[in-house]
Amino acid sequence: MGYAIQSLNVHINDEPHLIDINLELPNSGVVTIIGRTLAGKTTLLKVLAGLQEVSSGALMKNKKDLLNVPAWERRVGMVYQQFVNYPHLSVRENIVFPLRRAKLNATAIKEKLDYVSELLGLEEYLERNPSELSGGQQQRVALARSLVKDTDLLLLDEPLVNLDYKLREQLREEFRRLFKDSTDRLVVYATTEPAEAMILQGQVVVLHEGRVVQVGECSDVFHFPATTISAQVFNDPPMNLVDGEIADGRICIAESLHVDLPEHLGKLKPGKYTFGIRAMDVVLERDGANAPIILSEVNGSSTIVHLDLSGRSLVLETEGVHHFGETGDVHFSLDASRLYVFSDVEGELVVAPPRKSVLGEKGKQNGQN
Amino acid sequence: MAKIELKGIGHAYTSIDGEPDYALFPMDLTWEDGGTYALLGPSGCGKSTMLNIVSGILTPSQGRILVDGVDVTNLGTTKRNIAQVFQFPVVYPAKTVYENLAFPLRCARMERTKIDKRVNEVAELLNLDEILQSPARRLTPDLKQLISLGRGLVRDDVAVILMDEPLTVIDPQLKFSLRRKLRDISARHGHTLVYVTHDQNEAMTLAEQVVVMGDGRIVQMGTPQELFENPLHEHVGYFIGSPSMNFMDAKVKGGVVFVLDLPVGVLEQARLSDDAQIKVGIRPEFVHIQEDRTEQSFCAQVLDVQDLGNSAIVNVKLSDDINIKLKLRENAPPIGSTCFIGLEPQMVRYYLDGIAVQ
Amino acid sequence: MLNFFKIFKVIAIVLWSAFVVAPFLWALTTSFKTANGVMGGATYLPWVDYEPSLAAWKGLFGSGAGSIDVVGPFTNSLIVTLSASAISLALGTLAAYGLSRFRYKVGPISNTDLTFFFISQRIMPPVVLAIPFFLMLGYFGLLDTIFGLIIVYVALLLPIAVWVMVDFFNNIPRELDETAMIDGCTPFEAFWRVILPNSLPGLVVAGIFCVVFGWNDFFFAFTLTFTNTQLLPVAIVSLNSSVTPWWSLSASALISVAPLIIVAFLVERYLEKGKISVASK
Repeated sequence: MGYAIQSLNVHINDEPHLIDINLELPNSGVVTIIGRTLAGKTTLLKVLAGLQEVSSGALMKNKKDLLNVPAWERRVGMVYQQFVNYPHLSVRENIVFPLRRAKLNATAIKEKLDYVSELLGLEEYLERNPSELSGGQQQRVALARSLVKDTDLLLLDEPLVNLDYKLREQLREEFRRLFKDSTDRLVVYATTEPAEAMILQGQVVVLHEGRVVQVGECSDVFHFPATTISAQVFNDPPMNLVDGEIADGRICIAESLHVDLPEHLGKLKPGKYTFGIRAMDVVLERDGANAPIILSEVNGSSTIVHLDLSGRSLVLETEGVHHFGETGDVHFSLDASRLYVFSDVEGELVVAPPRKSVLGEKGKQNGQN
Repeated sequence: MAKIELKGIGHAYTSIDGEPDYALFPMDLTWEDGGTYALLGPSGCGKSTMLNIVSGILTPSQGRILVDGVDVTNLGTTKRNIAQVFQFPVVYPAKTVYENLAFPLRCARMERTKIDKRVNEVAELLNLDEILQSPARRLTPDLKQLISLGRGLVRDDVAVILMDEPLTVIDPQLKFSLRRKLRDISARHGHTLVYVTHDQNEAMTLAEQVVVMGDGRIVQMGTPQELFENPLHEHVGYFIGSPSMNFMDAKVKGGVVFVLDLPVGVLEQARLSDDAQIKVGIRPEFVHIQEDRTEQSFCAQVLDVQDLGNSAIVNVKLSDDINIKLKLRENAPPIGSTCFIGLEPQMVRYYLDGIAVQ
Repeated sequence: MLNFFKIFKVIAIVLWSAFVVAPFLWALTTSFKTANGVMGGATYLPWVDYEPSLAAWKGLFGSGAGSIDVVGPFTNSLIVTLSASAISLALGTLAAYGLSRFRYKVGPISNTDLTFFFISQRIMPPVVLAIPFFLMLGYFGLLDTIFGLIIVYVALLLPIAVWVMVDFFNNIPRELDETAMIDGCTPFEAFWRVILPNSLPGLVVAGIFCVVFGWNDFFFAFTLTFTNTQLLPVAIVSLNSSVTPWWSLSASALISVAPLIIVAFLVERYLEKGKISVASK
């Protein structure tokens, strides 16, 4: 039971936006669709909402065809990345708009309005016009409107992308709280940010250039990216990928960088591979190899240093805010025990390092994830 | 190449009752020659007012502005040797890249050969030399923004580059290369660079010195690392870093600071009275889980654990009023469990009425 | 420098205002003159230069020697213009919404071609249309009737309404319609409950265009009517027989401009309240 998308294709103006999508989604819980801009996330959400005509394929819900159910009969809610509210209505009327369409009685409307406006902290803004609110509040109104009615499906299309950094942080946690126990509706959340997917947990669908690359539990996708694409899309900064060779019990990455074969790669045949390593697992080390800095940037509470590794970029992430200067070299080493290996041509995962969770042993036993 | 001094600069609109209504409170500030500075703050914090005063668009209601010691308070924009780049790229779409860059020089009636030389120099600096002959309208926003910058730089007397949120319209993927280019240019040419933004990461990435502003005042000016490690104001602790700094209500007894009856540090010099309402601030990175209870460990209940893959953000409750966050690399405790936590003593900061006390 | 510009600005404004207002004042004084007052050379000030008379104004409404009745043509004009504008606006808004939101494709013809087809109606010189209209109305027995005129005017005003509204709808984000549909509106309800209330500025602009063009049209009013349903512009021009009654001409011209001036004032008030700018956000 749940949603089934079968061999779905969508072409818009003769350009393919979704190609042969096959997906099963549950009736409740959270599913995050992650992909870069133009990966097809919005198109997929619109298909689910009934706003996008499909070129071929099927969309079923509990084995019933959903494609010929129009949007206004589908029991869905949707929040866009732009803050879409009805400009001619007050915040209150914006929120209850769907309830009025569903012809609910006044007491029911009042009850639901009170509940949602309290949930999202909008009580004091009800009489205002949406254009008088800040971006974050406008997005809360849009969210309130999609939460107020009984829906089976809630679609969020990069809802935080146009908000300020601190507000994003705050709303991310609000989403986690709101959707944590989504037992009566399925929340589909599209984003480019791996952190948002991790915070929401649930299932992850990695979308790239209109195709599904990987589907799985959030932490599984993180620890075992099926392809180099998954590894890049589902890590921020994207996982470092460097071509290299295994020969004579050593890994040779670029001319200057040789690493002893770690234990988990012991059984690999010699040959050419693509090696992946997270920025966090490239560590500063006084005696390590050195490479010139391209740029260092600050991201929240960590510093990301881009290095020039014989013409390829290698990214290093370190905790805290540090100054690296514009020029000069950085000494670093790779934590070889965290190396991922992908096949040379297709970029499919060959070997992943043993799973290393930040959750303690006790945490995993408790089923926290 | 210029040093900019703001002396008692402030800007106020007179309100109806005759009281001055400050958009920018009077302040002193010095920007050294060749430095890169960021003005950081939310909209309405006064950063744009300050930028407009420096560029000459706005005449301040009080104070003086000196460029290399020369008072320019009453000089117009064109006489200040300032290049300005705005949020939206300003290019002449019908002209070629070359003509776009040459335009300010043609207006100044410069000699043709000289123009050619300057344009080629700037084009090379910005890596625009390959596309000099293409029409500007077909270019991507980041290239257009580079042209806007180039038009500012082409005058050889430019001392200061002012940028007002120049990366707003740039695609995230392209931001990186543009950021790098901006750093390159300021490093190589020694222009004084002032960069206005509301984005913490952008400010800390691009600037050597960040001026954090709020409500028309300077809250703190310092290197990114200083802002992160030593926020002089609660607001900076909140605004910089992700997650934000934790703040806890604390009491002082004889110079010793207590949180929930546990001593967390000593404040000798400040000579605070015992009833001072002070707050203890500590970043989530510097709160640790302890294996065993010591005299300085708090007993905490785990409310939530966010597994971010590389790290975990743990939300714990110390008391009914105090919830704090921890950032852990490994061994995050399960939700609902009880654990002991300790604060890294040298990273504990103290705030009285929102302002840091040493 | 600054003062010079200020003075220059004021002078320019005064000159331009005089240029615009002078014809009105001239018409106003003339309308209070009699034959003697007009023929006696240029005179400006009532009671000083000439003896004002209400004869021309009385003539417009009453009956009597040398009088013409403008009440009939005025009413005709009002009915035809308002009906045609209302119909054009209603049909045009619907058509424009369709053109803006849905994709049509019949063979090689798609939305842009359809939009151009509407506009092309205005590109054609009216003379080309006059004969077909005349023949068609004649065939249906609608020549010289109010109903016939309304049909013709709808044909003329519809392109304007479509043109203005397509552009306006294109600037309303599609997400607004989509959100409405997700909130339970059928496509028509989305249009009616969400898009239309947010289109007031566009409707006002399109409405003004329709009313102005309709009210001022002379050519079709002249070609397609004879005596029964004369419209105001035709009635005014027909005053101009062997002897031109300048006084009556002036008075009736002022009357014909009056509704447009009222509309202009109303719209300006409306703009001032900021209703339009808020709605267009």
